[in-house]
Amino acid sequence: MSKIANTVKPFARPLAIVGGVLLIVAALLPWVTFALNSGNYPDRATLQYFDAPFQVTGFRWHMLLLGVLVLVAVFAPIPSKARVIRSLGWGGLAVALINSIFITTEGGGLGAITASDGNVAFGGIVGIVAGLAVIFAGTGLGIELPAKWNIKLARPWAYLVLVVTFAAVLFAVAQTLTAGGQGGPANPYAGGLFLSFLGFAAGLLTALNGFGLIGWISELSEKHRAFSVVVLLACALLLPFTNAGSEYWMTVAANIGIYAATAIGLNIVVGLAGLLDLGYVAFMGIGAVVAANLSGAAASKVGIDLPFPIAAIIAAIIAGIFGAVVGSPTLRVRGDYLAIVTLAFGEIFTRSAQNNIGGLTNGANAIPGVPPLNLFGKEFNETLSIGSVELPAGVLYYVLIVLLVAGVMAIFANLKFSRIGRAWIAIREDEDAARAMGIKTGKAKILAFLVGATLAGLAGAVFAHKNGTVSYESFKFLESVTLLAAVILGGMGSIPGAVLGASLLFVLPEKLREFSDYRLMIFGLALVLIMRFRPQGLVPDRHRRAELAGEDVGGVPVDEVHEHDTKGATA
Amino acid sequence: MSTLLQQLANGVVQGALIALIALGYTMVYGIIQLINFAHGEVFMVGAYGGLATYTWLVPDSVKDVWYVSLPLVLIGGVAVSVAVALVMERFAYRPLRNAPRLAPLITALGVSVFLQEFVRNFYPNATAALPFPGVFVQGQLVLGPIRVGYSGILLIFVSVILSVLLQTYINRSRMGRAMRATAQDPDTAKLMGVNPDRVIVLTFVLGAVLAGVAGVLFGTYLNNINTDMGFQTGIFAFTAAVLGGVGSIRGAVVGAFIIGLVKSLAGQYMPGGTQYDYVWIFVMLILVLVFRPQGLFGEPERVRA
Repeated sequence: MSKIANTVKPFARPLAIVGGVLLIVAALLPWVTFALNSGNYPDRATLQYFDAPFQVTGFRWHMLLLGVLVLVAVFAPIPSKARVIRSLGWGGLAVALINSIFITTEGGGLGAITASDGNVAFGGIVGIVAGLAVIFAGTGLGIELPAKWNIKLARPWAYLVLVVTFAAVLFAVAQTLTAGGQGGPANPYAGGLFLSFLGFAAGLLTALNGFGLIGWISELSEKHRAFSVVVLLACALLLPFTNAGSEYWMTVAANIGIYAATAIGLNIVVGLAGLLDLGYVAFMGIGAVVAANLSGAAASKVGIDLPFPIAAIIAAIIAGIFGAVVGSPTLRVRGDYLAIVTLAFGEIFTRSAQNNIGGLTNGANAIPGVPPLNLFGKEFNETLSIGSVELPAGVLYYVLIVLLVAGVMAIFANLKFSRIGRAWIAIREDEDAARAMGIKTGKAKILAFLVGATLAGLAGAVFAHKNGTVSYESFKFLESVTLLAAVILGGMGSIPGAVLGASLLFVLPEKLREFSDYRLMIFGLALVLIMRFRPQGLVPDRHRRAELAGEDVGGVPVDEVHEHDTKGATA
Repeated sequence: MSTLLQQLANGVVQGALIALIALGYTMVYGIIQLINFAHGEVFMVGAYGGLATYTWLVPDSVKDVWYVSLPLVLIGGVAVSVAVALVMERFAYRPLRNAPRLAPLITALGVSVFLQEFVRNFYPNATAALPFPGVFVQGQLVLGPIRVGYSGILLIFVSVILSVLLQTYINRSRMGRAMRATAQDPDTAKLMGVNPDRVIVLTFVLGAVLAGVAGVLFGTYLNNINTDMGFQTGIFAFTAAVLGGVGSIRGAVVGAFIIGLVKSLAGQYMPGGTQYDYVWIFVMLILVLVFRPQGLFGEPERVRA
């Protein structure tokens, strides 16, 4: 891989060194001049210099690490040096900026990050300057393509690398989930620390991507697909044994899992078939209501108590039937109208549920007391002990939901590369051309709707039992918007994207309680910005990226367009 | 019988309101084939702009003199609507003009959610419904068994007059001809010297003016506004535009009056009452899409290059 007609600016290398050193210095400086309204800023940032060895923690440690890595990247002969340096710079800037903003807004004002009462604390400002310097230096070095490694490994070594990688992923997920701690009044800085950790992790990951490691590992896992799937599943099931293994984090993880499964279902409809479905949570709601009514809950009208698997299947089928019925009127018109019809359907569902239609939903009182799942006499909301290890309550739900997500992923992956999956993608790209190629577009569109709604119904059934209450409040239009934002943020048509998007959009509100009023406003803005600047999402689907790069060159960085060109040439 | 007549009158007032908004949907869709989800929100910010004008800009001495304060409030509401529509067109839609079909649709949805939440969070006390002043002659017109507020009569008049003016403008003026040409075939229109950017901006501005007027008159009629009103009324207006045939001015107005009447009659006579009135509207939307997708006055859908 060579550089793209870029000259190395003479100032770039010294600037990178200065930036790296400044990042380290910023990590060692104090960050806050006085105790804020909600107490000392964490990680000993309030008026503490690095006075004793091995005591830099939290975000200051992340910053120190980024600084050291910048210096290593400058001096070591690594591939795609400029790209790595720029990514590290973005990480440093994010950490510095997020913490500074939090310090100034949490009752400190600008005095908190500069000087006040004879105390000085320039850590934040130095950090921001350092981050900017490193980014400029990286750009000045001439951004290259991400490196490609041509290292072939024998099977046992490849397996070892994959196991180590997935263990590292498990560790990273547990760290991310618990970063900043549980949000709420007792922990006012949880949101800031979590965002700061995200910035650090994102910087590090993009640097590793530029370095070529991530591309290499994903190729490796592609080659040993079955093994990777097994190890990944095992890693997901091991999460309760990490530091995320408390009841609270298990509940959060299980909720994320339910929404991730739903998001993957929505991804079939939106990402593969290109049909905008704005009433998607209504199908989840239908599944939840059906499952709740068949569960023997006291408030249910149908007085039968079916075992969960049967109830879940019935819920999924009923939701699927609704999906097909809702999708059918739009066969003769353009896909845009589908958005309106599904929006209308979602509204009808919410209002009907609110008015207790047919006595099935119990209206504003919701259906309480849906019994927890039960397997071999073990209730799913109890603690579980394996040998001498006591696992927190909610672990069994977490396991069930991991299996659900894995199942939905398998369905998605198989559909995507099947005949019908290719038909959906063809319809998404050009409906008329697809029809001319002999695809029965009407049938395929209804099928997409049916599959998506069925999966949502299944997720809804699990949701009903896990939460114990089914209320129409959980299935409003704005939940559909959140799910859609998750799919689009992650990348339309991409499985890891949907999981990543769902995780981000459902963890962030959990951490950033103090911003809950602005949640939807930020989601709305995010939809606009993503469509404008990164329509392919965070983890782009490969085909999708090629299409979007071709059509909207203005919105895609030059290097990525070139990357697409070279890919096309080698393929 | 008197109930029926009263509901018909209510339906006509509702229809007049929906017509003003539906025109904006139909014009934008006609020109750039975009369902502008955010148009309902343009209507909503118009109402809030009018309320802000009344609260802070209209001098206290003339607040009760409706023929002074109503024009001022209208100007304020329309100005805010137009400003929002211009910003939205320039920064959200224009960069996506050649993007895949789904992209602007999702952007429109994002703009809609953003505007709704922005007003809810930052307009003082907008988390709950706000009272809107009755800046018009108070009282009701009594015609036998029918009672309609004077502000409702105003709404009907304004709606009909503005629709006729719009129709005339589009049919007679130079810019109107450019709009029709762009709607028919944007590439050929460009070759004929039509500047598409100007046409599109004009379309958004015209739609926003109507939506701003609708927002203020809605507040005057119901004396109560909230941040959800744009979303709700927006869906009805879009349904009206589809019913009349998207792209057709006359169709949007006729469709709006049909929707208004259906809503008010279904609320009175159908099972479930007003809680389910919108269900019948959506049932109608689905029936139209199945049996006459081009709407009452629309032309059959053309395949665009």
